Amino acid sequence: MKKLFAASVVMAGCLFGTANAADIEKPECIAPAKPGGGFDLTCRVAQGGVGDKLGEPMQVTFMPGGIGAVAITLFNTTRTDDPNAIVAFSSGSLLNIATGKYGEWTENDVRFLATVGADFGAVIVRADSEYKTLDDLMNKVKEDESSLAIGAGGSVGSQDWMKAALLLKAVDSDPRKMIYVAYDGGGDALTGLLGGSIDVYTGDIGEMTAHLGTGQLRVLAVMSPERLPEPFADIPTTKELGYDAEWTIMRGFYMGKNVSDEAYDKWVAAFKEAYGTEEFAKIQKDKGLLPLNIAGKDLDENVKERIKKLREIAREAGLIQ
Amino acid sequence: MNEVLSGLSGGFGVALMPLNLFLVLIGCFAGTLIGALPGIGPINGVAILLPIAYSLGLPPESALILLAGIYYGAEYGGRISSILLNVPGDAGAVMTTLDGNPMAKRGEAGRALSISAIASFVGGTIAVILMSLFGPFLAKFALTFTPADYVALMVFAFASLSSLVGKNQVKTLMGAAIGLMLATVGIDANTGVARYTGGIPDILAGFDFLVVVIGFFGMAELIHLVEQQISGKLKLLPIGKSFVSWKDLMQIRWTMLRSSIIGFVIGVLPGVGASVASAVTYGTEMRMAGEDRKKFGTGDPRGLAAPESGNNAAAGGAMVPMLTLGIPGSGTTAILLGALMLFNVTPGPLMFEQRPEIAWGLIASMYIGNLALLVINLPLVGLFARMLTIPQKYLSPLIAVLAFIGVYSVVGNPFDLFLIIAFGIFGWVLRKLEFSLAPIILGFVLGHLFEDNLRRALSISRGDWSILVSTWESIGLYVMAVLIVALPVIIGIRNRRKAK
Amino acid sequence: MADRLFALFALIAGGIYTYVAFFIIKAPFQYDPLGPETWPQVLAVVFLLCSLYVLVRPDHIQFALGRSVWLRLLMLVVMLGGYAELYEPLGFVISTALFCCLLSVMLGANRLHSVAFGCATGIIGYGICDYLLGLNLPEGLLAPFL
Repeated sequence: MKKLFAASVVMAGCLFGTANAADIEKPECIAPAKPGGGFDLTCRVAQGGVGDKLGEPMQVTFMPGGIGAVAITLFNTTRTDDPNAIVAFSSGSLLNIATGKYGEWTENDVRFLATVGADFGAVIVRADSEYKTLDDLMNKVKEDESSLAIGAGGSVGSQDWMKAALLLKAVDSDPRKMIYVAYDGGGDALTGLLGGSIDVYTGDIGEMTAHLGTGQLRVLAVMSPERLPEPFADIPTTKELGYDAEWTIMRGFYMGKNVSDEAYDKWVAAFKEAYGTEEFAKIQKDKGLLPLNIAGKDLDENVKERIKKLREIAREAGLIQ
Repeated sequence: MNEVLSGLSGGFGVALMPLNLFLVLIGCFAGTLIGALPGIGPINGVAILLPIAYSLGLPPESALILLAGIYYGAEYGGRISSILLNVPGDAGAVMTTLDGNPMAKRGEAGRALSISAIASFVGGTIAVILMSLFGPFLAKFALTFTPADYVALMVFAFASLSSLVGKNQVKTLMGAAIGLMLATVGIDANTGVARYTGGIPDILAGFDFLVVVIGFFGMAELIHLVEQQISGKLKLLPIGKSFVSWKDLMQIRWTMLRSSIIGFVIGVLPGVGASVASAVTYGTEMRMAGEDRKKFGTGDPRGLAAPESGNNAAAGGAMVPMLTLGIPGSGTTAILLGALMLFNVTPGPLMFEQRPEIAWGLIASMYIGNLALLVINLPLVGLFARMLTIPQKYLSPLIAVLAFIGVYSVVGNPFDLFLIIAFGIFGWVLRKLEFSLAPIILGFVLGHLFEDNLRRALSISRGDWSILVSTWESIGLYVMAVLIVALPVIIGIRNRRKAK
Repeated sequence: MADRLFALFALIAGGIYTYVAFFIIKAPFQYDPLGPETWPQVLAVVFLLCSLYVLVRPDHIQFALGRSVWLRLLMLVVMLGGYAELYEPLGFVISTALFCCLLSVMLGANRLHSVAFGCATGIIGYGICDYLLGLNLPEGLLAPFL
């Protein structure tokens, strides 16, 4: 029944054509999750920072199910050419694409549109930990991969695990041998770290704002390509410490793959216009994101390159064949 | 101590301003309304009303006070549907149905609602007092709780469950197993492997708790009601004017106190919270009742007061790690944490130093939110109870409409509407076969906690099972678990010997 | 009898669950000592034992319902299914009005009352939920007017 309905919508779409596909009517931002999470936040940035560049207020709708699989399936079956809707994605979604969690749908089945900001991985230990620097930690890892317990808020194969795996790979250790403890979200993992159940927490720098200066935690390194602005300016990057382990958490949007170039360009233009405004920068900052503004073709290339890399890592780590 | 008092008096100064008092009352009322929708508990209530509170452009302390009102209101609103319709609003309210609904079916809806309001008030208030006094100390205790200790806590929670309702113990166990099995559907939190999803993307992330509870309770209740009505077995409910009596209060005073303290301590532990607290307090009170035990499940005031005090105290306890450490211990506090961040307030140890007016204002508003709940809801008890006077032919469709609103507005996936119907049919069959539904729900809620913590503990120990009994906390919990199961058996044997 | 039948179904469903637990679920590589399959395996065994117990020693339960009762319950389920199917396409107001109207007629309300009841529930329900509480409900066919 559902399929029948879907099919009739597609047919109707074909019959009536896409007469004014370039006009964006009732812009809609789809957060492929329940309200309150990271995707909600991603859409809110677009709603507040880009919405007024389209001439009409943007609506946020939620489409939970299968860590985003439901939304990507819908945009590959019925709404492939919807010019009015954008769907939020994050690096986690890209990882899901790379590891085949979205079934048959790949990066070539959607058009990546624009980003609204980024967060970066961070290597965190307790303030009283014996590891004072990242070098201390990495030397220990080199000695024996399974000598310390690394924990974070996601499962094996998730972004959080990837951060830890990348660190191990940077010193030619086998990620499969590490002791990884999967917690239910960052808050739980932090509790585990503070309580001494795990030795290292591979979290995000954004959530550390609340803990800087409390004297409970020490951020050994941030996994960004360059030093971050205040209040994180004192934290060294993994790269400058000599470890090739970078993890950028990208937040942005994609559209259906059959969306007309006109409509796509119009959206890209709206985002690019917004990037220049102070208002957008403020919303970005308020939502705890660091600037990372890429739109249009640049992003599409950037994302495809990322997914390629992710696939390699996943294959090496044994997540996919 | 002086510090606490001066902080609190400052906080009350903020919370008692006319605007803030007005806000807390409004928040309580709106929260009660939204919480009364089945499935929309405090988490979703606060999440849904948060943007509205934010858009009003209030100063941060006022907005937080409004949210505290909404929080307590939604917490209480969930009790209304549990008691009147046998449809729990959230995980913590499942145990409330056990004695609350029979009481309402006896025509004492007013009594049940007022007992629940008072027990909630007591639980909430004791939790806030304990929090003001021992917050930082307790937060440190919560941190030392390792995954292995959580496993012991889960064993203890299931042991408390063993005393639960149901004529047939095997069916109680089977129900818990069904709940635990439902919890294994979806992506495994440790390895990311999909289990029992059958390739359906909609359940890749597992069943939403809301869907399970509305299906097994709300929809099953609806089918049951319709069946009773069309087969002519439905007796018209007696709607008497009833209210909590002095005798009731005397009977439940120690129950409330005990349950509040137990609930608070459990609530402080991150990740556990109201559902475990209500199960444990209910089980404990049933043990304490001795020979009166048989009255539990038939509308005993103690069986209603215990989970109500327990889950409200747990909700208060969950604030401790958030306020003192900046770690959200439950879904609701995660949302409150987000709300604080929206106002550029960062919870954690620094909040009390940097923004004392907000930290103490929030705590003071919890005292006032609790009181507002009592003030708003006690006079309305009669009005809510009148809901049951709606003729059955209209009430039944309304239950379905409310259930659909709850599921759709929170989860937003039409697939879940079909899921609740399927769970409803299954739940109705189980009910016919004299299964108790509470163990299913608790099994479902505790399943993830149990499995994930067990596997975490074993990861940390590299597969060495002795980690499970390596701390005093865990050993203590196992001893209590054995006692709680063994005591009635021992007492039973002794009584039989005496009889000989 | 009903208990036996149920136990039989439980054994079949439990059997499938058990099979999947023991032969299908596998992690790409063993990470934690238990892996994703151990916990379901334990549950499967407990569930099968319970089912067997119920099969051997069933309770005596009356599950006899008249044919007309079964028929109406089936109608209820069909109505619920239709309500779920049409919830998004028609929108909250129309689908709710239809559902409430039909179900209350089946439960014995007279036609006029049930139509009034259905429309009132749809419109007032939407008003309260959408405008007062800010809940997200489908607009459906009435989207241009809401």
